[in-house]
Amino acid sequence: MNTNDILLAVLVLIGAPIIGCIASGIDRKITARLQGRVGPPLLQPYYDVKKLLSKDNMVVNPTQNFYVIVYLVFIVLSLLMLVFKQDFLMIIFVYTVASLALIVGGMSTGSPYARVGSSREIMAILSYEPVLILYALAIYLLTGTFKLTAVLDASSPMLMYTPLIFIAMIVVLNIKLKKSPFDYSTSHHGHQELVKGMTTEYGGPGFATIEIAHFYEYVFLTGLIFLFWASNPIIGVLLGIIAYLLIIVIDNITARVYWQWMLKLSWSVLLIISIVNIAFLYVSGVQLA
Amino acid sequence: MIENTVMLLIIVPILFSLLFVALPKSLYKYLAWAFFIIGVALSVNLVLDGTGVVQIGEPNFAMFENIVLILEVLIILFILAVSAKYKNWPTLGLGIVSAALFAYTFTNVPGVEGASLNIDQFSQIMILIVNIVGTAIILFATGYMDEYEEHRHLNRQKIFYFTMSFFLGAMNGLVMADTLGWLFLFWELTTLCSFVLISYNMDEEGINNGFRALALNLVGGIALSIGIILLATKYEISTLSGIGTYAGTDAAAMATVALPVALLCIGGFAKSAQMPFQSWLLGAMVAPTPVSALLHSSTMVNAGVFLVVKLVPAFAGSSLGTAIAVYGSFTFVMCSALALSQRNAKRVLAYSTIANLGLIIASAGIGTPLAVAAAIMLILFHAISKALLFLCTGEIEHTIGSRDIEDMSGLINKAPLLTTLAALGMVSMLLPPFGVLLTKWVSMEAASSNPVVIVFLVLGSALTTVYYAKWLGTILSSSMDKNAVPHKKPETYFPLSFLGLAIVVTSIFVFSIYNYFIKPQVEILLKTAPVISGQAGQFTSEIGAFAYAAIFVVLALAVLIYLATKNMFTPRTSSYYMCGENNLEKDRLMFRNGLCSYEKSSVSNIYLQNTFGESKLTTLGYAISIILIVIALAGGVGL
Repeated sequence: MNTNDILLAVLVLIGAPIIGCIASGIDRKITARLQGRVGPPLLQPYYDVKKLLSKDNMVVNPTQNFYVIVYLVFIVLSLLMLVFKQDFLMIIFVYTVASLALIVGGMSTGSPYARVGSSREIMAILSYEPVLILYALAIYLLTGTFKLTAVLDASSPMLMYTPLIFIAMIVVLNIKLKKSPFDYSTSHHGHQELVKGMTTEYGGPGFATIEIAHFYEYVFLTGLIFLFWASNPIIGVLLGIIAYLLIIVIDNITARVYWQWMLKLSWSVLLIISIVNIAFLYVSGVQLA
Repeated sequence: MIENTVMLLIIVPILFSLLFVALPKSLYKYLAWAFFIIGVALSVNLVLDGTGVVQIGEPNFAMFENIVLILEVLIILFILAVSAKYKNWPTLGLGIVSAALFAYTFTNVPGVEGASLNIDQFSQIMILIVNIVGTAIILFATGYMDEYEEHRHLNRQKIFYFTMSFFLGAMNGLVMADTLGWLFLFWELTTLCSFVLISYNMDEEGINNGFRALALNLVGGIALSIGIILLATKYEISTLSGIGTYAGTDAAAMATVALPVALLCIGGFAKSAQMPFQSWLLGAMVAPTPVSALLHSSTMVNAGVFLVVKLVPAFAGSSLGTAIAVYGSFTFVMCSALALSQRNAKRVLAYSTIANLGLIIASAGIGTPLAVAAAIMLILFHAISKALLFLCTGEIEHTIGSRDIEDMSGLINKAPLLTTLAALGMVSMLLPPFGVLLTKWVSMEAASSNPVVIVFLVLGSALTTVYYAKWLGTILSSSMDKNAVPHKKPETYFPLSFLGLAIVVTSIFVFSIYNYFIKPQVEILLKTAPVISGQAGQFTSEIGAFAYAAIFVVLALAVLIYLATKNMFTPRTSSYYMCGENNLEKDRLMFRNGLCSYEKSSVSNIYLQNTFGESKLTTLGYAISIILIVIALAGGVGL
């Protein structure tokens, strides 16, 4: 670990939530415009977090805040591992820890709304995790290693060989960002059957922690999309931004579906196109140059 | 001296089993403590003695060989007698076939001049598992069985402890024996012990399930003995290590012994309850929880995967190996899917065991140094975690009177320590930085060269996360009532805490364990070691890196942050948010409905019975697994 690495780590730790916060603000702005409203200021998510931190630490179960801290630190860890080009399979497992921590945190409150949300989020894991690991496998097949170094050093974009996995990953992004039509575990809109889903019983600093973790998660998830065109960082970043804007638009033009529907979509269409893509990589034996 | 330790490892458990019979019930507690301490001491001593081969030649050999013969005759007679007594004709038929095979072996197969016990690093690991985890389970039983028998009006503890201790002795013999004839004896002894333990309750269900276990394991035993006969008559191989020496890593030699090796593997599959043999292990849960814990973690099922891993040099890289890998990974994904639909905690654990054994077999089948290392490590980590989970389930059942996962919600308020330990066990099964996930990661990286296997592993892995996450969330969810009061006995809570600690310690020192045990063993089996290095708290292979140290640090950091911030921001507790229509003093989960009366809200987990239910998947599982076994056999005879 040299000075540059430490500087980079600090930069990520400080920069990522700022980017995530602005992304979240843009989301709210665009959504408002699409709905014919003016919308909140761009930095509204920051003001929200600031206000949440000034509130009392109101909990149902004294241990519930432990899980959101685990959620936050593991999101940060997976982002750092991504930035430092670690083993991609490993990153996915670390990311799973974070996702599970939030689910268990929701369930630990014992509230019926939270448990409904958590149960649905568990089904979301069942939908997206195979796709994520197949994405890791595609990286291995293209570069001969699970470490991200090879992808980031390559001179040609990965997207050329993995178009189907890219499509599947866009859907995964949609599920992971908990945007409509897959916003059934927790939702920004006060739907009656769900209230606030997993995070129903969180308020004040605990909820602020979740929001901050979400900022990191936005960066991490768009980072996964960035990898598809990592050979040219500018195009890669653009790809990430376009994917994110696309999700916002989808969020606004679709209605929530049943979780069963998502599971069917994932285990039929998404898995099959991913496996077809993987089969192509096996058969053709192409390598990322 | 290694010879003495080896002999003691077989004699001491048998001695203890006799002591359990001879001494009164009131002393069992002290006996179990003594057994645990001696078991730990002996197994550690064996590791300190190092590796080696213990040869047993004349004049002792003749005596031992006679004992072996007498015992084998006794086993067969017992099976015939008991199956005739209960009029269980299929078992009787299988017993007769076994007897015929035994007679054939006795008359036609040339005898051996001496026997040998082979203590390599793998045997050392198995001995550690059997004698530390196994005796911890017996210790747990002393705090468990009285209440169990009280509920069921039984008084058979003498038989129980006798068989449990004897089981450990047989298992010790099995993992050390190199001579195939002796291995077979210990193999049949464990089958017999499991039969006695499964039918412990002596009710109809118990006896039926006991016979199912006996019959399916006899099928495995028959495959095993045919394999041994073939090896002895056609290739003059009479030892387990001899198979490896004969086949080497040479493709042509491998092809010639493929059929007997495949038969031995089928014996292993039956013992490890792989599909289509899985029903015996599911039936085994009618027995008291310590029995399930023993069968699932430290003994019985491990014998099967132990044999398969030992046979790796005879199929690594061959088409038989590929068939075994596909078969194992199929069991992994199928049983993970089945576990998803189960509400009964013991059934979830049973399917999880079968799935993980499938993963071990898949790793062995892949046969690269990396994969074989993963297989051996998974046996170790799985044994510890699964023993803990089973014992916790037993203790939960005694605390809340149910083994239904849905009934366990709110357990964290009722029995915090027990819940924490159970949660640790579950987390160690599916999340980094713990050992089981590390080995799963290694096997996934190793399997990435085989498309079918890796896709099965990916799906199975996602399913595993889901079924454990549901259970984990349920036990950790808080409830507002605190009715059940856990009864904390040192005999039950010491083994639980000990196993919990063992999970953490083995996961932290995973690289030392790898270096000391696994690496030399893989070198013995495959003549090359996996390219793994362990600098800077990372498990680095040629294709990836597992940064377990970083995760431990981050986990510790999370705990520290939590403790530091716990009392900041004016903490207050409040009640559930129920949209303003709740908060009756007596039960805070009440809603007011449209008729202005109150109804309790209840939320349960999602089990997807209609997709992954046993009725939907079991037949499919049987069909595909039988086809895969036939393919393995066909590959064996070179079709």
